[in-house]
Amino acid sequence: MNRRSNQTRTIILLVAPAFVFVLVFFVLPLIFLLSQSVLPEEGGFTLSGYVDFFQSRVSRIVYLRTLKLGLIVTGISVLMSYPAAFVLARMPVRRRSFLMSLVILPLMTNAVARTFAWLIILGRRGLVNQTLMSLDLVENPLRFIFTETAIVLGLTQLFLPLMVLPLVSAMENIPNDVLEAARSLGANRLTTFVRIVVPLSSDGLVLGATLVFTGSVTAFVTPAILGGSRLLLMSTLLRQKAVILFDQHAAAVVAVVMILTTLAVNLLLRVLRVQQV
Amino acid sequence: MPHLEIHNLTVSYEKNQPTLKQFSLNVEQGELVSLLGPSGCGKTTTLRSVAGFIRPDAGQILINGQDYTRLPPNQRDIGLVFQSYALFPHLTVFHNVAFGLRMRRIPKEEVHNRVANALRMVGLEAFADRRPAQLSGGQQQRVALARATVIEPQVLLLDEPLSNLDARLRVDMRQEIRRTQQQLGITTLYVTHDQVEAMSISDRVVVMNQGDIEQIGRPESIFAAPETAFVADFMGFDNHFNAAVASVRDSLLTVNWGDAPIELPWRSKFGSAQAGAMAEIFFRADSASLLAGRDASGLAGQVILHTFHGNEVIYLVETEVGEFSIMQDSDGERFESGATVTVQADTKKWIAIIEESEL
Amino acid sequence: MVSRWMYISLVILYGFLLGPFVIIFMASFGANANLAFPPQGFTLDWFANVFETSQFIDSFWISLQLGLSSTIVSLVMGMPVAYALTRFHFAGSGMVETVFSAPILVPGLVIGFAMLNFFVLLGDMQVMTGLFIGHTAILFPYSVRVISASLRNLDPYVEDAAVSLGANRLRGFLLVALPNMQAGLAAAFVLGFITSFNNVPVSLFLSGPGVTTLPVSMLSYLEYYFDPTIAALSTLLVIFTVVLVQTAERVLGLSQFV
Repeated sequence: MNRRSNQTRTIILLVAPAFVFVLVFFVLPLIFLLSQSVLPEEGGFTLSGYVDFFQSRVSRIVYLRTLKLGLIVTGISVLMSYPAAFVLARMPVRRRSFLMSLVILPLMTNAVARTFAWLIILGRRGLVNQTLMSLDLVENPLRFIFTETAIVLGLTQLFLPLMVLPLVSAMENIPNDVLEAARSLGANRLTTFVRIVVPLSSDGLVLGATLVFTGSVTAFVTPAILGGSRLLLMSTLLRQKAVILFDQHAAAVVAVVMILTTLAVNLLLRVLRVQQV
Repeated sequence: MPHLEIHNLTVSYEKNQPTLKQFSLNVEQGELVSLLGPSGCGKTTTLRSVAGFIRPDAGQILINGQDYTRLPPNQRDIGLVFQSYALFPHLTVFHNVAFGLRMRRIPKEEVHNRVANALRMVGLEAFADRRPAQLSGGQQQRVALARATVIEPQVLLLDEPLSNLDARLRVDMRQEIRRTQQQLGITTLYVTHDQVEAMSISDRVVVMNQGDIEQIGRPESIFAAPETAFVADFMGFDNHFNAAVASVRDSLLTVNWGDAPIELPWRSKFGSAQAGAMAEIFFRADSASLLAGRDASGLAGQVILHTFHGNEVIYLVETEVGEFSIMQDSDGERFESGATVTVQADTKKWIAIIEESEL
Repeated sequence: MVSRWMYISLVILYGFLLGPFVIIFMASFGANANLAFPPQGFTLDWFANVFETSQFIDSFWISLQLGLSSTIVSLVMGMPVAYALTRFHFAGSGMVETVFSAPILVPGLVIGFAMLNFFVLLGDMQVMTGLFIGHTAILFPYSVRVISASLRNLDPYVEDAAVSLGANRLRGFLLVALPNMQAGLAAAFVLGFITSFNNVPVSLFLSGPGVTTLPVSMLSYLEYYFDPTIAALSTLLVIFTVVLVQTAERVLGLSQFV
């Protein structure tokens, strides 16, 4: 009895400082944000902010565009990562760990630097336009900046490592014997990949998809630089409402919709994961 | 014509370091041949070459007279059972066993029947809907066997299939594998490092060492008459010593054992025995007996250790030609440490091996 | 098991991941100011410009201070939590875990916005304090996770052994467990520092006049100027992180914690 209460006291002592920190400095502001979205400055409880958000053509377009681009980025990431991750997972450890550190490298560099490269690649006098013009494929430079294509490219480059890493670690756990067993039973390489490797790495796929999708729909830097105010996403819309229009009520609504979206995706994919087991 | 022919197979992972040197072996239809040897002897390399996962540097693999050497593994029609079982964790027992039939585009109904038959044969018909993780080690082993045999392969390959099971289960599974193999009449290669396993399951045993064949033969002849020191050692001859050959008469040679000359059968891979050559003499702990005191009928020595094993006592005896362990019934005469004893040879079970000819 | 066409996918992946860095690198030495590609000539002017632009220098120091202080505080406060989670079974441990992983689930921009409204607009908090709190909060999930991982790798009986030899629990932890967690702690430190140092979304709203983090000041520079100075600065930052990450990877195997 005494021992038990002693242990409880120890646990409380260990957890309390950080717990209070997170509660006061993280949870409380979020509760305040939530209250801002339903309690406008004029007073009284109302859901009109949410109604306005979903009734406004502009914010509806922005919301759907954000989800659409998120899905496209996730899809492209899956296609680019899957075969490559398999090659990485089957490599000798030494070479793999070197190549994996190259995958992590972009993750460790700030998003402004990484997005800036796309300005050079896609700009009026950028790599793509200069190539197209020197091949006489186009006469005048095409506009890539401030297009959805630019945002998709930027976001994919940004979040691709978050798909590769979980996929590689899921595929590392597939024993070679299992793949050889499939081959000895008559499966060719492609069949082995589709029937054995893909189902056995679905955990990594789901985790990677969660990370890439939620990252894409909440990223700020890439849409700010490559989309600007002409092509708003939820994050740039939030910034516009808060800083340029000074509409804290509407901004809070956008923020809460963003939270709910990421939570819903996380929950959905977690359910998917549990069902598979 | 042998069913499976391996001709001069050579495999090297690193340059100038062949793991398999000009390995040749013929296996008859329905025969079970074990590849026996310590790790690194090349037995698994041989198996994986036959399965198609290793591309040999030289040599040929023929099945039914057809050249398989360059064929990818999925076109070989070979059943493979892995040490780790390598079951597909995301598929049920049924779908694991059905996998190879699906790959062969067998009609659904036939798949159903054949899988059901295969599962009945290994006693797992009630487990068809389980996942591999829900099965015991022995059950997983049975699924692996059913999966490899249901496709009615030309050749069945088993790579240390029992080494992950506990001792009691291993004996049961050994019999089950042998029974299945004989029922289906499948030509089989069986890789193991366990001599008891190899002898009990095989029609013939191939003892391998450093990429070479040391000896091929029926289990009885390898057990009783090893041709090389390596095989003798591997087949559980506990004691050995070197002795000069005094004389040779046909299949027997004479060496000195204490004051008495003894006559032993001899074997050599390389040449003939001659008087004056050095022979290495091997005997098991149970093929010698002890007498109290010094006696002209054998070699004298001193007991330095005795350990009790229930029905037997094993004595470690020091003599002028070496230390030997000798097994005696525990209800016979007992000797204390320090006692002087005479070691008598049961020469019919001893073997003299001549490693190098004197040419 | 790996067929040839799969290697092509590897080339595409790495081209896409690393190609932009090659472009930035080339642009940072090019003489043309309009970012035309391929760059003409060779100059180090853009690097000089980085060091002459006070907004970069000032914000670099702020990012450095912020990165160090928030990482250290999140580690010091996160360690006891990780210890409680790995060494004790208690009711509510699931809730504690959820609370400490929550900052990963909430978009950074939203965190920054919520903190701006609550602390700065409502509570009149100093800009630097707000930044520090925001960064510390988002680092907790990483700290708790990485330290938990290294605690799980450590045999709990070594501390019991220390206690049986006469140390109290705290000394047992400090003298026996802590020295064996060095690699995990260093990994958590590098990871935390880089996360803070590169963060834009949380810092964006919390930055104030004169107090801006480096990535945010890079972003606002881009709103007014469109020249290779950012490329030069990016090149410097890439070199900085390559050195940091490669050292950490060599010494600690960082990738196992990401």
